[in-house]
Amino acid sequence: MAAVREYAVIDPVTGKLDRRIFSDQAVYDDELERIFGRAWLMIGHESLVPAADDFFHTYMGEDPVILTRDGAGRLHALLNMCRHRGNRVCRADDGNAKRFMCSYHGWTYRNDGALDHVPGESEAYYGALDKSALGLVEARVETYAGIVFATWDRNAPDLDAYLGDARWYLDTVFNRRDCGMQALGPMKWLEPVNWKTLVDNCSDNYHVPTSHLSSALVQMRWLGRPRLSHEDQFASPHRHAFVNGHSLTFRDADDGMPRYVHGISKETARLFEEYHRATLPEVERRLGALRARRIQLANHSIFPNGILGLRLALPRGPRKTEFWHFVLVERDMPEELQRAIRIGSQANNGAAGMFEQDDVDNWRQVTEASVSRRARRLPQDLSMGLGHAGPHPDYPGLVSERYISENNQRLFYQRWEEFMNAPDWARIPLAPMTARFDGTATMRG
Amino acid sequence: MNGVAPSRRISAVSPPAAGAQGEDGPLALTAQQALWLELNQFYIREAWLLDERKLKQWLDLFTDDVLYFMPRRKNVPRRELHRELTPLGDLAILEEDKRYLEMRVARLETGMAWAEDPPSRTRHLIGNLEARRLEDGEVEARTAFLVYRSHLETDHQLLSGCREDRLRKVDGAWKVRRRMIVLDANVLLDKNLSVFL
Repeated sequence: MAAVREYAVIDPVTGKLDRRIFSDQAVYDDELERIFGRAWLMIGHESLVPAADDFFHTYMGEDPVILTRDGAGRLHALLNMCRHRGNRVCRADDGNAKRFMCSYHGWTYRNDGALDHVPGESEAYYGALDKSALGLVEARVETYAGIVFATWDRNAPDLDAYLGDARWYLDTVFNRRDCGMQALGPMKWLEPVNWKTLVDNCSDNYHVPTSHLSSALVQMRWLGRPRLSHEDQFASPHRHAFVNGHSLTFRDADDGMPRYVHGISKETARLFEEYHRATLPEVERRLGALRARRIQLANHSIFPNGILGLRLALPRGPRKTEFWHFVLVERDMPEELQRAIRIGSQANNGAAGMFEQDDVDNWRQVTEASVSRRARRLPQDLSMGLGHAGPHPDYPGLVSERYISENNQRLFYQRWEEFMNAPDWARIPLAPMTARFDGTATMRG
Repeated sequence: MNGVAPSRRISAVSPPAAGAQGEDGPLALTAQQALWLELNQFYIREAWLLDERKLKQWLDLFTDDVLYFMPRRKNVPRRELHRELTPLGDLAILEEDKRYLEMRVARLETGMAWAEDPPSRTRHLIGNLEARRLEDGEVEARTAFLVYRSHLETDHQLLSGCREDRLRKVDGAWKVRRRMIVLDANVLLDKNLSVFL
């Protein structure tokens, strides 16, 4: 790793952001080391590997990783790279396998990473090969309510501290039921954009009434979805909160509004309402009355690249991102309701999603503005809501006064600077956990 | 017509091709050949409607109870190819009914569907038609496609795949009542999928 460069890209006083971080190869290389090499990265979900010997192929940044469940039920995140020459040992997206054999020379690994068999171990290597030192490289793995995270950094804090008080909000979507959640997906596609713009966009509620008005209009007419306008957004009871790099937007309203937004139409609203009522006592036991009844997580991102539920923005170079879209449903949700959520979610999000397809060209042109000579000298303006955020008596984190604010964007790029400038994890600050986690739900679910 | 001249003087069971003339007089087609011609015409017509952006007319080619389905396609070992396509009920790329298709078309007319405004330039090439009449009067037809999409200045994509359709006659016209689109891609290389296949 080159000498640590000092990054000062966001001016917290003016909200000006140096846009060269969206296309510069040297910056990107530093990001792979200092962010993707250190942070806890969302890589999958336990439900993708439900049985012994199941595996799911995923990524930590650009590193291919096999998420396995070994014969004893333990999860492993293994770098998909044979320790001999570096070929991948797994080419399938998912499956069930006790062993992974490299297709080059036949080195074979157990699904806990141990190197099990090397052709010619005694004849060709004269018994001198130390197989015990040549297992697949393993990352640290921890889970939160079934979501699997991994980090390459031994010195990273535990995942509980990494998420910190962000979990207070995240629980209201990911940790509501005793039965846990099932992940469906992913759908995968490449976007010609810098990964940070996708993440930044996940708490940018300002763009919604402009970028997505066409979809909102037809869904209002065909599905009976609510009207969408800037005025409604400015007046909404939603807020932004920010903790440890995690951007959260949430709603605080005790109106019995169902928890899932995707898939609600005039025909399906009844299903959502019935389910909400039927599960409320359980959710209240798990999360306490305030979170069960009032708080509803909306758009959000988990630093660095977990976005909007279980979705991943995988960096593929400074101007390319592979987008992975999953849908999560609660396991014992009625099938009819699961279907409504699945169809509603895939109609809105994903490569073909009505909402999501309209984002790409905007993001892409933002990325490209960081390339051209004249444009890249002009900073982004992230000044909205400067001075209108702070601690709140009821909500953890740094909280904005309004739903429409660039507070989270400014803080996201400040968090980015903290990671990029710190020589090691000891210098990356973590907010103390002060939230009251009422109820029985834990990190484990 | 399959590159082979049809047998002459074989009476078509149904429906005869209108006006076909051979050197030795009227040319009769087998029912299978006639069906093939009819459907070929259907798919050519559909391709022109899509490429000329006549999407409301395109919607009329589908029954009201249509399922328009595009599963995901996974990398699996050859011995597990039965798992290559995700089944209905798993997350799909598209699992739409007529209403969703109508919404997608109506969206474009708002002038604010940014993925398609300015619109893509597309060329749908549909070929390799195979058709089979089923007992219930419906037809199973599959075709291969290459769809070229050019967008804005230099964005361009080539989408390759096949369609497996179920069609039925409604008021004398063929309509698709189920379409499964299988793309020849794992990670889609496209910035988005905003054109119809």
